[in-house]
Amino acid sequence: MKLDKRLYFLIPAVLLYLAFTIYPLISGISLSMTEYAGVGEGKWVGTENYEEIFSDQRYIQVLKNTVFYAILVVVFQNGIGLVFAALLNSLPQVRNLFRTALLVPSMLSLVIAGYIWQYLYSPIGGGLNEVLAAIGLSSLQQVWLGDSNIALISVAAVHVWMFVGYSTAIFLAGYAGISSEIKEAAQLDGVSPIKAFFYIDIPLLAPAITVNITLATIGTLKSFEFPFIMTSGGPDYATMTLGLKIFTLIFQDFKYGMAAALSVVMILLVALITIVQNSYLRAREDKI
Amino acid sequence: MMSMKKTLVQTKANTLSDKKGTTGISKMFTKRSIKTFSLITVMSAIVLIILAPVFYMVMMSFRSRKEIMLDPLNLPSELHFSNYVKVVQDMDYLGAIINTVGITVSSIVLVALISSLAAYPLARIKNKWTNLIYIFFMLGMVIPPFAALTPLYLFIRDLGLLDSYIGLILVYTVGNLPLGVFFYTSFMKSIPRELEEAAQLDGASFIKTYWYIIFPMLKPITGTLAIFVTLSCWNDVINPLLFLTTESKLTIMPAVLRFLGTYSVDPTQLFPAAVLASLPLLCVFIVLSKQVVSGMTAGAVK
Repeated sequence: MKLDKRLYFLIPAVLLYLAFTIYPLISGISLSMTEYAGVGEGKWVGTENYEEIFSDQRYIQVLKNTVFYAILVVVFQNGIGLVFAALLNSLPQVRNLFRTALLVPSMLSLVIAGYIWQYLYSPIGGGLNEVLAAIGLSSLQQVWLGDSNIALISVAAVHVWMFVGYSTAIFLAGYAGISSEIKEAAQLDGVSPIKAFFYIDIPLLAPAITVNITLATIGTLKSFEFPFIMTSGGPDYATMTLGLKIFTLIFQDFKYGMAAALSVVMILLVALITIVQNSYLRAREDKI
Repeated sequence: MMSMKKTLVQTKANTLSDKKGTTGISKMFTKRSIKTFSLITVMSAIVLIILAPVFYMVMMSFRSRKEIMLDPLNLPSELHFSNYVKVVQDMDYLGAIINTVGITVSSIVLVALISSLAAYPLARIKNKWTNLIYIFFMLGMVIPPFAALTPLYLFIRDLGLLDSYIGLILVYTVGNLPLGVFFYTSFMKSIPRELEEAAQLDGASFIKTYWYIIFPMLKPITGTLAIFVTLSCWNDVINPLLFLTTESKLTIMPAVLRFLGTYSVDPTQLFPAAVLASLPLLCVFIVLSKQVVSGMTAGAVK
């Protein structure tokens, strides 16, 4: 059989992908079994790094923080985004303008948003507490990033603020695919808007929901910029997330073996969550 | 299905009869417009609240340190451009922007060429091998870029590409390859084969067919890909921090990070730097908002 010459076009992509993605992934697994500070040879330690991750309280807290952060962001970003999209969909006069306006925060980078909110949250002279005082709600003032009970929620709120417009845009794209005839028919049959939202919109938006949840999950699990800039993981590890922990292991502690082990845990976590989500969400889509 | 059609017919009948009864329709119209108006008001308020931190950033960037100390929440009394002048000089803003644009453009060109080239056989040859290679690439879309960072760093170091633009461009190119392969393969499947088959009958080689027939047809999806790659390069901090060591080679976001550090509290530095760093991308977004929005939501909903 003669080889199709077009197959040669795959060579650059496959070679680069093997060298710079697959090879590091595989060597990451062996690196995760070592103690390596970046110079000389790594010391083989077997599964010690993994044992430490799953027994050390600090690492367990990192995993808990990460999962909590992800759940908060996924639920609120998509919940609010869905409501915004439903409202905007019924307001064609302002739909495109508001969609663009809501996307502005996601055009800032995580670094910039982190800096702005670090200042907004600051207890003295910070915008948020000042605004609360100005409208007579001083009792609601908080040390937003310094109180370990609420710091992680404060950070997650910034994530929601930044990307809620993105969720809205994706839901609106989903709405554009729903024929207006179905909704008109429901309206004429006397179905209330709230009922229509739950029984018509949400089922028909299933693909958009899947995409949004998957994007938000991956986005939160890999982000480290907010806690890095706003809290450095503190107070008392309250905002230390998986991404930030890997970052500090590489840049400050030079514990490359441990960083690799934590990366492997992250891959497994992402894989697990996406598989569970997709099998559940896709099954829902198929049912519809 | 039948019942739906019936309701549709009824819809038309109803609207027709509504037009006859003027009192009915004007009543409905006012009720509706009040509802619409109040909804628009509520949404406007929400949008303004969401945009408030962005206004705050711009407003604060023009205020002097003394003003901010005395009155944290106010408009600037005059536009203190001196804040900006100082930041532009102190953090080598233009240098960082030039680096970012150069690295971004190089990465876009490489990703577009390499992944569209790969997509050509993947979209046109159907057998289990091409299918397998496609799935192999798609795996890269779900692996978080963080995952292989440490070994990738050591590999780039061993190749002697640390602190070189080439190393960083390579990282970005490969990082975006799966996305490129996905975009191009699905797009190419949707364009008809007739043109390329005609070119082949005329004796054009595959590479000529690719370059003169296929690649030009991929323009729209190349635009979308460029948006994604631009966003990922422009906003990235971890890769430049890891792969570049010379300060003057840094891209914009890590340059801001180095300039401000963490726990930065000097608002006369923080806010002008924030405005300057986000301005180029915000301008692009405002000019091309339609394309960016459709690009960002592309493939999201099918």
